[in-house]
Amino acid sequence: MPLLETQGVTVRFGGNTAVNQVSIGAEEGRITGLIGPNGAGKTTLFNTVTGLQKPTEGRVLIDGVDITGMSPAKRAKLGLARTFQQLELFLSLSVRDNVKVAGDILRATTRKRIDLDAETDRILELTGLTDIAGRDVSDIPTGRARVVEVARALMTSPRVLLLDEPASGQTEQETEAFAELLTGLAADGLAICLVEHDLPLVMKLCATIHVLDYGSIIASGSPREVQESPEVIAAYIGTEEVA
Amino acid sequence: MTTFLTFTILGLVLGSVYAIAASGLVLTYNTSGIFNFAHGAQAMLGTFLYWQLSVGWGLPVWLSLLLVVGVFGPLMGLLLHKLIMGALRDTAEVAKIVVTVAVMLGMVYLSQWIWDPVEPRTLTMFFGSDASVEIAGVVVRLHEILCLAVALAIALGLRMLFHRTRVGVVMRGTVDSPDLLRLNGHDPARVAAISWALGSALAVLAGILITPVSGGSLEANALTLLVIDAFAAAMFGRLRNIPPAFVGAMVLGLLGAYVTAYFPSDWTWTGNFRVSLPMILLFIVIVVLPQDRLRGAATRTRERYRVPSVRAAATWGLVLLGIVFLYSLLLADSGITTLGLGMAFAIIALSLTLLTGYAGEMNLAPMSFAAIATVIVFHFGITGSGLDASLNLPGIALAVVATAVVGGLVALPALRLRGLYLALATLAFGALLSNMVLRDTVEHTLAGFTFTLFPDGTLIIPKPRFGPVDLGDPLTFLLVATALFALIALGLAVLRNSGYGRRLAAMKDSPAATAMLGQNLVKLKLSVFMLSAAIAGLGGILMSSAMGSVEGESFGLMASLALVMLVVVGGIGYISGALFGGVMSGIGFTLLVGTFNDLAISQPQAATFFELLGNVVMVGTALVGMGVGKNPSGSVQGIMDGYRSLREARPVLIGGAALVAVLYALALAGLYGSWTFTLLALVVVMALPAVGQKLMPHAVAPVEGHGHSDEIRDDEPFTDTLRDRLDLALGLPARVPGVRAAAPQKGEEVNAPA
Amino acid sequence: MSTQTGAPGAAVEAEQRTPVLELVGARAGYGAIQVLHGVDLAVHPGSVVALLGPNGGGKSTTMKVCTGLLPLNGGELRLAGRRVNGLSAQEIAKLGVCAIPEGRGVFPNLTVRENLWIATGTGTDLKKLEEVAYGRFPILGERRNQLAGSMSGGEQQMLALSRALATDPAVLLLDELSMGLAPMIVSQMYETVAELVAGGLSVLVAEQFARVVLPIADTAALMLHGRIVDTGTPDEIEGRLSSEYLGG
Repeated sequence: MPLLETQGVTVRFGGNTAVNQVSIGAEEGRITGLIGPNGAGKTTLFNTVTGLQKPTEGRVLIDGVDITGMSPAKRAKLGLARTFQQLELFLSLSVRDNVKVAGDILRATTRKRIDLDAETDRILELTGLTDIAGRDVSDIPTGRARVVEVARALMTSPRVLLLDEPASGQTEQETEAFAELLTGLAADGLAICLVEHDLPLVMKLCATIHVLDYGSIIASGSPREVQESPEVIAAYIGTEEVA
Repeated sequence: MTTFLTFTILGLVLGSVYAIAASGLVLTYNTSGIFNFAHGAQAMLGTFLYWQLSVGWGLPVWLSLLLVVGVFGPLMGLLLHKLIMGALRDTAEVAKIVVTVAVMLGMVYLSQWIWDPVEPRTLTMFFGSDASVEIAGVVVRLHEILCLAVALAIALGLRMLFHRTRVGVVMRGTVDSPDLLRLNGHDPARVAAISWALGSALAVLAGILITPVSGGSLEANALTLLVIDAFAAAMFGRLRNIPPAFVGAMVLGLLGAYVTAYFPSDWTWTGNFRVSLPMILLFIVIVVLPQDRLRGAATRTRERYRVPSVRAAATWGLVLLGIVFLYSLLLADSGITTLGLGMAFAIIALSLTLLTGYAGEMNLAPMSFAAIATVIVFHFGITGSGLDASLNLPGIALAVVATAVVGGLVALPALRLRGLYLALATLAFGALLSNMVLRDTVEHTLAGFTFTLFPDGTLIIPKPRFGPVDLGDPLTFLLVATALFALIALGLAVLRNSGYGRRLAAMKDSPAATAMLGQNLVKLKLSVFMLSAAIAGLGGILMSSAMGSVEGESFGLMASLALVMLVVVGGIGYISGALFGGVMSGIGFTLLVGTFNDLAISQPQAATFFELLGNVVMVGTALVGMGVGKNPSGSVQGIMDGYRSLREARPVLIGGAALVAVLYALALAGLYGSWTFTLLALVVVMALPAVGQKLMPHAVAPVEGHGHSDEIRDDEPFTDTLRDRLDLALGLPARVPGVRAAAPQKGEEVNAPA
Repeated sequence: MSTQTGAPGAAVEAEQRTPVLELVGARAGYGAIQVLHGVDLAVHPGSVVALLGPNGGGKSTTMKVCTGLLPLNGGELRLAGRRVNGLSAQEIAKLGVCAIPEGRGVFPNLTVRENLWIATGTGTDLKKLEEVAYGRFPILGERRNQLAGSMSGGEQQMLALSRALATDPAVLLLDELSMGLAPMIVSQMYETVAELVAGGLSVLVAEQFARVVLPIADTAALMLHGRIVDTGTPDEIEGRLSSEYLGG
């Protein structure tokens, strides 16, 4: 059974259906890809899963628990973490404090007792941010800022990690290191859901890929299956018979 | 029936004037994204000018109207947009709010400068107060009919403008997308300028119409706040649409009239309730209206605050205590008392540092929490009576805790609000408190208890006494207040460096991300609101006891807004900003104006000059506030940064310190007064960084240049062009002849070494 | 200090006609985030340039730079050979650059007619705009007093295109015309664009769905990571698309 699951999730804005009957899941220890052209509804789906957007229909479950009506904070307690397409870093804090504050929240809101500094250092080391730990987060390049968001999410010891275009703004070397990081995290048992425009990266990392177009899932399967699907090619490049 | 009709008409008349004011407000908000807190002050200024022309100088009414509504109003709007508002588009919400608040205060000060507030002025109704007609047995004055007619004409006129003219359609387009307007060849700034002109004229018109209806006497503060009642009407249309704002205005007017007509006149709250009605409605409408859902930080703000280290805060606290003590040696008892009052204000200001600077939440009514604590301590915290009376510790503790609880209760319905909406909700609360509590001078009987919240309109608050420490002595009071300030500041530094402080910063920077990490935002906001209210309460008790006797006015909206503005000018994210803002608003005005007046009395030949100087200081402070948009981090930090760059220039620092010491010694010896010393010392302190730059240019490290870090970023490959530019900057010959290694282009100048 | 003017290789360019719109080494970004790392792009008179590539590559930013909505922080924007860096978007619009931005290029809370009224900002009169718009798209005439936001995506795009049809621009910029539209509607939209092109209009079109735009393009440029990585004829580029987009 997938750890994170959406069941028939539909989101309508007025008469406009942004997400239509989407049922997908993310499993422990695997990276699941979610791709699709711009405006296909990927971010809306993410917002629904994380509680920033109420679905018109459908349910969201973590480990079989219905979380559809829960606040984002409660979902986080159940092990859900995410990063944002538009960076949402804490600009008045250093890189280290951006990560540490996630632990502060954990300590203040749960009974978990962690050695904050040691854990922060471990996460920084793991994500390769130790060298810039003391810098202002507003002064670092976008590519690394994306990694800070991942590090911050990891600090909450999540079970499911949703990544919204984490590779955009990264250089090729950064993307390579990032891919390695994600593979390692999945190997440790994390369920990762990846929305990404860098399709070669998605193809390389994901076991299963779902393709969203006009709010609906038009294909699901292995990278090869998705690549060869005529629907997917049409969705991305347009249909042959046009004009 | 006649009563009903009479009050219905009265309500509609008031409503129509609110509608005129509200439509102007909605207009400017939509086209420029700035909520104009100065709208009421613009109305006030225009009304005073109208009085000057028509009554003062005896110009014909039509000509005065034409000049004020047709020329002065639009011109004032255009100037405001051109000089101030136009530059605010991308600034943080706090800066936007503070700038218009500063404009409002500046206009109030200006009007008091031009039109001596002691002298009474009245504005009579158009056509005279006797000109009336009888409709269905009800006497209706022609002025009232005029108000209704004008409102109707404006409603129709605005409809025409928005649907039948291109400029009006373009104004509506601004709401959808300013960028798309530009792609169509229109200039959104020009559209905004036009609507500021129009909005300003509407404000002025509303002010002229409402003054005779509400009694006729012209008073700057009252008139400014009267038009602020229109905020509630504007909120009915979510600040977006004019027709609902008209409906809201009528509801507001009618409710007010019916309260006057039908509430039992022997009910002791009626009068105050009627006055508070617009603010109660404003609060309710804001809280009930559907809000934008939780989003990320939409505004990437320019201001950045350095985090104080605990050790530095402790050191600075001791330094402050030392300086204040040394300085007090120069002062007479009256001066020491005034400085003590300033410290009390600075403590209230610290509540804003925590709430706005650290947590990013707004409170436009900090003085209201000071008032709550004062009222509680007055009723429950006084030991002894007469000259022997003093405040006791349990009473103070009770008042502080109770204020925190009230702070939490007020914040609770407003917690999901952010930015402007939260600011307006606190403003409404402040006005409500002013009207309901601080004007509550009559006796009530409730469940067998007889009480008066604010007896006689004046509360006598004695000084605290804790065992052997008697704050009745001015110097003791000053030192204790300073120590308390330093302690709270230290506490804030500790807090800012703790997990709680980091969580506040996180919430301020990105509520969405903070919630996603598991933080319950409501709890966090509630806790910081309560803490902030407690600090304001403690400061308020000290302030009241420093003043000895306080009136409702001492805690009024104008006092709150002036404090907020000065703290932001000083630097909302810094303890030093709170010190500056508190001391300035607590004593600055009284001291400066008082000193100038004293000088004026002692030197009659220069009296006018000193009076002028006093007024210039008041208006000037507001002008500085208007500049906050350009320097959102605050001014005190600017000076501190100057000193940071002096670190290596030791001789300059030592020289400066020695100079101040000599000045101090001379003052102590009685060579000149404390005022002269203050001025001289301030000049030295302000000028030192610049002097250092001149004397020891090599030692003075440049403050880290932000512009260049964008140029050479480590995520970019080191390109040939970049190398060429570096070569050029270093004065090396270009490696490849002919390559354009010259003329750096606009916006990417290469900094040659100095 | 040398005051050399003129671009490098000015002599080479003189062989050809001056491009209507040209970016030279354009660099731009948002705040600290640099998006364009030196983009060179030229739209020659009467030609159609298709800007292709996956999302996040910098297509929209390139378009924004061409309209003047986003200032350059390096390089040049030229119109008919003239450097226009620093001109405001409204000035550039008045020079004949007609841009239809990503999403819908209409004001949703204004009626169809009011939308056309705003389009008169670059100098065309309302009567002509209405004639052309209602003539080419009769549905718009029927709905002239309806709010643009209440129409279907395709109808909104027709309204946006009407501006290009009626205002006689020097160059047309189209950003993701197809976004969120059904394939049938998309092909209708591009039929209209093809008409405009047949009339000699120069067009720069950014499009994720390469296949709908390649047939009308003279040149195609592939954009990745804020750089143009490949330029060529539509046929040359098409062969590479699938692998660039979908990997493998």
